[in-house]
Amino acid sequence: MTTGARPGSEVIRRVSKATALLQMFAATLLLGLAIIFVLIINRYSTLQDGIRENALWSLYQLDREVRKLHEVVHIALVEGDETSDMWQSASQRYDILYSRMSILEEGKFDRKLGGDEDTGPVLAQIHAAILSLEPIFDEINKNGRTSIEALRGVDIALDPLMQETESILVYANTAVSADRAEARNALLTLQFKSGALVLLLVASVGGLIFLLRRQLRSVRAAGLTFEHMARDLNRSYLAAEAGNRAKSRFMATMGHEIRTPLNAILGTVELMQLDKSPTKIDAGLGTISRSGAALLEILNQVLDFAKSEDGKMTIDIKPTNVSEVVHAVIEMMRDRAVENRNRLSLELPGAARLPVISCDPTRLKQVLLNLVSNAVKFTADGTVEVKVSERLQLGGSRLRFEVTDTGIGIDPEGIEKLYRPFSQVDASIGREYGGTGLGLAISKDIVERLGGTVGVTSRKGEGSTFWFELPAVAVEAHQIATAGAEERPLPSLRVLLVEDNRVNQQVAVGLLTHLGQVVDVANDGREAVCAAGARDYDVILMDMQMPGMDGIEAAEHIRALEGPRSKVPIIALTANASEEDRARCLAAGMNGFQSKPVSMQKLRELIFSLDLPDTLPVVQVVKEASAPPVESEENQKCDFDLRREEMVAALGEDGFADLVESFFVDAASITRELYHNVESPDRTSTDRLLHTLKGAAASIGLCKLADTCQQRRNVILTRDAVNELETLIDDCRRRIAA
Amino acid sequence: MTIMRLKMLAACAVAIVTLHHPASALEMPKGEVILTVTGPNLEHPNSKNVAVFDLEMLEKLAGRTGTMETPWTSGKVTFTGPLLRAVLEAAGAHGKSMKVRALNDYAADVPMEDAMTLDTMLATRMNGNTMSVRNKGPLFLIYPFDSTPSLFNEKYFSRSVWQIKQIEVSE
Ligand SMILES: Nc1ncnc2c1ncn2[C@@H]1O[C@H](COP(=O)(O)OP(=O)(O)OP(=O)(O)O)[C@@H](O)[C@H]1O
Ligand SMILES: [Mg+2]
Repeated sequence: MTTGARPGSEVIRRVSKATALLQMFAATLLLGLAIIFVLIINRYSTLQDGIRENALWSLYQLDREVRKLHEVVHIALVEGDETSDMWQSASQRYDILYSRMSILEEGKFDRKLGGDEDTGPVLAQIHAAILSLEPIFDEINKNGRTSIEALRGVDIALDPLMQETESILVYANTAVSADRAEARNALLTLQFKSGALVLLLVASVGGLIFLLRRQLRSVRAAGLTFEHMARDLNRSYLAAEAGNRAKSRFMATMGHEIRTPLNAILGTVELMQLDKSPTKIDAGLGTISRSGAALLEILNQVLDFAKSEDGKMTIDIKPTNVSEVVHAVIEMMRDRAVENRNRLSLELPGAARLPVISCDPTRLKQVLLNLVSNAVKFTADGTVEVKVSERLQLGGSRLRFEVTDTGIGIDPEGIEKLYRPFSQVDASIGREYGGTGLGLAISKDIVERLGGTVGVTSRKGEGSTFWFELPAVAVEAHQIATAGAEERPLPSLRVLLVEDNRVNQQVAVGLLTHLGQVVDVANDGREAVCAAGARDYDVILMDMQMPGMDGIEAAEHIRALEGPRSKVPIIALTANASEEDRARCLAAGMNGFQSKPVSMQKLRELIFSLDLPDTLPVVQVVKEASAPPVESEENQKCDFDLRREEMVAALGEDGFADLVESFFVDAASITRELYHNVESPDRTSTDRLLHTLKGAAASIGLCKLADTCQQRRNVILTRDAVNELETLIDDCRRRIAA
Repeated sequence: MTIMRLKMLAACAVAIVTLHHPASALEMPKGEVILTVTGPNLEHPNSKNVAVFDLEMLEKLAGRTGTMETPWTSGKVTFTGPLLRAVLEAAGAHGKSMKVRALNDYAADVPMEDAMTLDTMLATRMNGNTMSVRNKGPLFLIYPFDSTPSLFNEKYFSRSVWQIKQIEVSE
């Protein structure tokens, strides 16, 4: 902000400097203009002097009157006219000439008439000449006439006078014209100069306007910046104050919250000191431990909140078994619910529909725990119901968790305040129910970090429903396995594997043993029924197609046994179970399906699910059944290198080599039998052989071979086809050896 | 009846004669004529359709005195003389403009307003003395340069005719 203001003021300063300079410049220009104006005015006044004089006109008149007088005199002499009229007109002409002369005399004009010559002496001469004639005309005035001689003298005197007046007139005309031209030029120059000055003035005024505009703009910008700064300052001040208030409130709440359990501890200790009987001590220790736990809970919550405020709350995403989490929460809250005489009920969708999602189980538990504990806390003699449902939405499904109670409820104003740190709907809540008012704030933070949303509907006095939704991102099976492995150790179960194919047997036994399971093998249904009757197993993995007694039959027999051994969970192992197969399996009393070929992950999952009493293996199996069969499994699982890796991990390099060896031995004997079947066709036998080969190939990850076998099962077997199969097997062998 | 008619006729005749010779008819000049005023339908001609004036007649008319500077004189001079307006009224001249003519046949056109709205005078005296022809006499048309300085320019200079002998009023 401050950095924003500085350039603004810098601009203003620069612009004002330029403005000041321009102002000075404009002032100078104005001064110049004024000077020029004065000069022009002066020019005009001299011109007016000229007007006043109009010497040229006077000179012309003088010349003209001399000529007129000369004319009158000359005519009189030539015509010998001596009438009184002639004398009178001659006298009048002289008078006029005389007056002209005196006007010139008195005129205040420059005798040089703007030129170089001084007309003064010539004028004086003319004057003298005119005056010299005066006595003659005075006489005419007096006597009415004079002598002809005198008149002749006048005629003679007028001749040179005429020449003089003419020459002076010509000179004056030239001089005055030149002067006028000069004056005009001078005026023009002045006008030019003033024009230039005016132009400059206009330019500088333009500049001033421009600068002023800029200045104004910068001033406005600076003003805006200051306003912004002020607003920001105000905001941060308010924020600081709000922080302060929150801190004080926090201190108050915490003081109260911590004091209650501490008082309980100290009081109990005092009681125990007074009465040291073992029963009292037992009861006291219980109280102390409960109070301590409460204290710890409060402190944990505060720490959590601090972390979430700092944005340091850690979220640890891993495969999360939702139903497990929900059950754990319910278990934890059961006692408190009973304390408040509340009925706590749980509504989960069919266990099959509750997926394992990608989430943070600890945080999920924390949120649920807070909601359920609130519900239990604010409800007495009522019901608290936890409900989980899956909602399908555009862009993926979401899991919705709802905690509904029939407790005190919240009014609309109170709802506004929810989810804010340290806020309880009203002060009495704190006193009556305790609590720091942090739970919902933390919960909201967690849910939002997990990509979910929170919400609440409530009615004062009727109860509330607090809910949140999380994206249900299903987890890849192998992730579950690894995650499960990290989470807790696999239980060790007794497993009866019923499998006729030697290779499959080897694979499954290898994997199960690697997972720490105790495995017995039955080669067909009959053996399986014997084994199941003879020993306790945690689970029986039953292949479906077997010579002699098949899986279904064996299951029926086992279920028909006497005693608890008939209840053993039976999981069907099947490559591509049709709906019909599934129905038959279930009808025969089997508990679920496991797709073949088995892998480490699948087995691990299976074992985990068996370990949990409330999530029977159906979970995974049904989920997989809903996926399109065969292809997807092949896509996922059919990678020889992956398979090899897994096998090597389970059986060791040697074990894997043995496995491969026995596969190829089996494959060789199967191809032999197939050749035989080409000669003497036996559909059932051929199908069984191909099925076995396919299963074994899939078991060790030879997908292409497995595919080919599967395809051959549907067509009439030819020698060529068997040849092709043989070549394929050879190819595989070479590839594995390489 | 006839007597009545005769009387009426006589009355008419008297009225007509009175119209032709107004009561304020211009007297005849006794001295030398220095100004002649001509014009169409002069109301008070005193000689063959024109009005002629001598110095005495002129100086009897309403006039003014003004002291001023002119381009044709040196220093301040005092002019005295009848107002042009008064002279024209005395002659009973009406028109839109007039030609003021000098002895040397110089003439200037002067609009009638100059006479009616300005105190323009026909100066007969300069500094109390009559003016000879040698001294721009006998009459000098002087604009009131003293009371209206804005007149001091060439436009009015050229109308300031001296040595005036005649004023010709025209429609
Ligand atoms: N189920 C409910 N019924 C009625 N009021 C509720 C309910 N859940 C929450 N509230 C109201 O919301 C407030 C905030 O709940 P929150 O869980 O954040 O804090 P708290 O339970 O008071 O304290 P703690 O930090 O110990 O959880 C509660 O004080 C209460 O006023
Ligand atoms: Mg709470």
